[in-house]
Parts: sequence; structure tokens; C-alpha cells
Amino acid sequence: MKTFLKTIGNVFKKPVTTKYPFEKTFIPDDYRGLIGFDENLCIWCRRCEMVCPPGAIVFSQDMEGKQTYHFNRAVCIYCGECVRACPKEGAIFQTAEPAPCALKAENINNGWNKLYAEALQSREAYAAEKKKKAAEKAAADKLAAAKKEEGNKTTGDNQTSAV
Amino acid sequence: MAKQYEIPIGAQHISLLEPLHFKFTTENEKIVKTDANVYYVHRGIEQACCSKFKFRQVSFVVGRVCGLCSISHTTAYSQVAEKLVKIEIPKRAKYLRMLVIELDRIHSHLLCLSHVAENSGFEALFMKTMQYREFSMELLEAVCGNRIQYDFSIVGGVARDLKPQVAQSIIERLKKFIPQLDELMDIYKNNWTLSLKNKGAGAITKEDAMRLNVVGPFARAAGLAVDVRNETEDLLPWKEVGYEMITETSGDVYARNLVRLRELYVSIRIIENVINGLPETPLITETKAFPDGEATVRLEAPRGELFYYAKGNKTQVLERLKIKAPTFSNVAAMAEAFTGNEYGSAPAIIASYDPCLSCTAR
Repeated sequence: MKTFLKTIGNVFKKPVTTKYPFEKTFIPDDYRGLIGFDENLCIWCRRCEMVCPPGAIVFSQDMEGKQTYHFNRAVCIYCGECVRACPKEGAIFQTAEPAPCALKAENINNGWNKLYAEALQSREAYAAEKKKKAAEKAAADKLAAAKKEEGNKTTGDNQTSAV
Repeated sequence: MAKQYEIPIGAQHISLLEPLHFKFTTENEKIVKTDANVYYVHRGIEQACCSKFKFRQVSFVVGRVCGLCSISHTTAYSQVAEKLVKIEIPKRAKYLRMLVIELDRIHSHLLCLSHVAENSGFEALFMKTMQYREFSMELLEAVCGNRIQYDFSIVGGVARDLKPQVAQSIIERLKKFIPQLDELMDIYKNNWTLSLKNKGAGAITKEDAMRLNVVGPFARAAGLAVDVRNETEDLLPWKEVGYEMITETSGDVYARNLVRLRELYVSIRIIENVINGLPETPLITETKAFPDGEATVRLEAPRGELFYYAKGNKTQVLERLKIKAPTFSNVAAMAEAFTGNEYGSAPAIIASYDPCLSCTAR
């Protein structure tokens, strides 16, 4: 009898589930959501890229040396390791906003792999260019120094001859 | 001698959550012999940890070994890495690790209990247990910022601090949970329908449990007092926060249910003590050292003893990482405990082992 009454009572109870699309589900204030980036504060040390476990952050670099930040929300595991590693407070930060789903049109896997490879290549190209320029400059400096020395020598010779 | 039939269950089966394959040799519905095959989900995580990832990143990789005991894996790895770089972590980090491990144990044990109920044919109890489990998921989300992959322990300490209002809400929700747990305890203990499938099924004796090296609630249900929390004090101070050994004697599915339910009371007590006695220290010990030498760590995951071995060679990448999951220790006893049972009670027995195959095969 007791069980029967309990069963009848259950009919009039509210459901325990949340009506999700119409009601909001529980999300805490400090939910580990999307990673934000502030270009003005960044000091471009790339430490976030180095510590990121899945490799969701990559910096590309153009030929003038300006770096661009790329982030993939589908690869990111939202661990916050980049935020902890950042030496400049507020340059990279974690928001409480859940990541939106990736769409097919975004081509988030293959597109990202391509972007990642290109970013690394662009950095290598910049480094090679820099090295080349440095080498050219060093060679030019050396030449100039040699010329100068030679000039000194000749003037010296002239002086000695003059003496 | 009656005719023998071989009946396979798994690797894909509706009553199994994970790819586990048992081959039963039956004689008139009675199981006489069992073969187990567990390696269906090999993902090569150990190799990835020793080649692709730096040692600080590995704690996030091993968190992905298992969804249910994610925090146990991360904590065990963090501890073994801390041994390799030779640092001592702050006391607050230790307490917060214990807090999350125990919250994780609550949700893992309730999941296992609900599956025992489901596989015993008691769907309503399955839903009830899952309903009561939801609070622990929400608390974990509030503490760690995510429902399932916590990423809470890092090498040197913990990643996030416990906010006072979150601590307050944990205490309040646990107070609400205690009467619900009493209700569950009453149903699992006294329900007649459930007892038909659970009492005496899948029993293992204490001697067999000791011989087959059983760990976790499986062993404690057989009366074998094995618990890493009882044995080690150096890494996490369990006794300080009120740990108590729970054992039963009969070793069947019923005893395993009771061990899990009674352990929840201990977990609740530990969580309350941790929150009330949380020391005020920093969260992380910083170090720039590289891992060197060898170290091992044991930790009590919800399913039993988790074992980590790591070897470093003074570089960023580890030389070797070995994980031994609790289910791996239990496989031999799992096959043994089926003997003499009805084939019909096999699903309930499998669920009561609480097998975690993604941990075992990695």
C-alpha cells in the first residue's frame, strides 16, 4: 500500500531533468572555456606555444618579423597551461564561454594541419632570411673592415714612405 | 558428463560499456570455464608519453587514459614526476588532490552501482542512482572547471585553487546527499529482486583473492584488506583526514555493492575533513629541474591500486613510462569468479567487477 501511494505521488512530482534548450544547464563561473588572446599585451615569446600539450596554438611570422597568433578550439583541451606559462599577465587568458561546435565548412582538421605546417615554415623562412641578411651584413662588415684596415695599411705605408 | 557449449560475450555487447571479451564454457547454464581477452583498445599512450610530449605535458596525456579515474592517473603521474625532479609539493596541493580524488570516487562508485542494478534487470534503480550521481559531476565541474577531464594535478602542485563559495556548496550538497545515500543503501541491501541476482553470485574466497592478487573493492568485498590509502602516508596524508578501511566477507556481487556504498560514507567524511582543515600554503612548487633516475608510485584509484613507473634521462622527454591499471590486476580473478555461476547472472557479475578497459589496454 505504501509503495502504491508513493507511485501515485511520483506522478505529480516535477521531473528531475533539465529541459535543456529552453532552460540553462549548470555552468560554473570559472568554467574552463575558450582561450582569449590580447595582441597589444603580447610580448611574442611563444612560451604558450611551447607548453601547449596538444599543439593548439601556433605563431606564424611574415618576412618583416611580425608574428600572428593562431588558435584551434577543436584541438585545444582547455587545460589552461598556456595561461600559467604566460609571463605577461592578461596577454593570454581563459574565458568561461564554452567552445562552439566545429562546422564542416571550417575544415578544422586538415585546414589546421596545413596552417600549422605553413606557420612553422614561415618562421623557418624568416629565420633563414634573417640569417642570410646577418651573414650578408657580417660579410659586408668584414669587407668594410678589411678595406678600412687596408686603407690604414696603405696610409701607414704612405706615412712610413713619407718618413 | 553433460554437453559443453562455448558462449562468447563481447567484445561488443549491449550489457558491456567497454570492449571486453569473455568466452564462457557452459554446462547446462552453469559456467565451468572462462577465458578473458582484454586488449581491444590499445592506443599507444605510453609510447606517445615517451616520445612526443614533454614531461610537463604528459600529466594531461595520461588524464586521457581513462575518463572515470582521470584524476587518479594525473595525480599518480604528477607524483612520479615530482619524485624524478625531486621536489616536495605544498600541503594545500596535497589536500586539494585528495578532495578531487574522493569526489571522483563518489561518481565512479555510483556509476558502477547503477550498472550493476541495470545489468541485474533493475532499470529504475539504475536511473535513480544516476540521478543521485549528478551532484558529484556538478561539484567536480565547479572545482575543476570541467565535468570529465579534470586536468587538476600538474607537476609541482595543482592547477586551480578551491574558492570559498565552492567549498561551501560542496559541504551543502554533501549534506543533501547523505539521506539519498541512506536510501540507496537501503535498496541495495534489502531489495528482494536485486538480491536474487546479487547474493551469492560471482563469489570469490579470501584465499583465492590473495592468490590471484586482487585489488580494490573487489578484494575488500572478499575480506582482503588491501588499500593503498592505508599503506602509504608520504605522498598524500590519508589517515590525517579520516580514512577508514571498509571490508566485507562474502565476496559476491552483493558484498561489492555494499563495499562501494560504505566507501562513499568514508569519502564524504574525507571531503568534509579536507575542506575544514585546508592549510593556507601556495599551490605550486616551481622547479626548473629535468627528470632524472627512476621512481615508482602507487595510488588508490576508485577501482584499486594504480601503479606508475617512470625513468628520466635529464632531458625534457621521459625515457620510459609504465602504467599498471587496477583492472589489469583483477583480470585473472575475474575469469575465476565466474566458475559455478549461472550464465544468466554473468552481466551483473561483469558490471560488479567495474572493469575499466581503456585503463588496462591504454
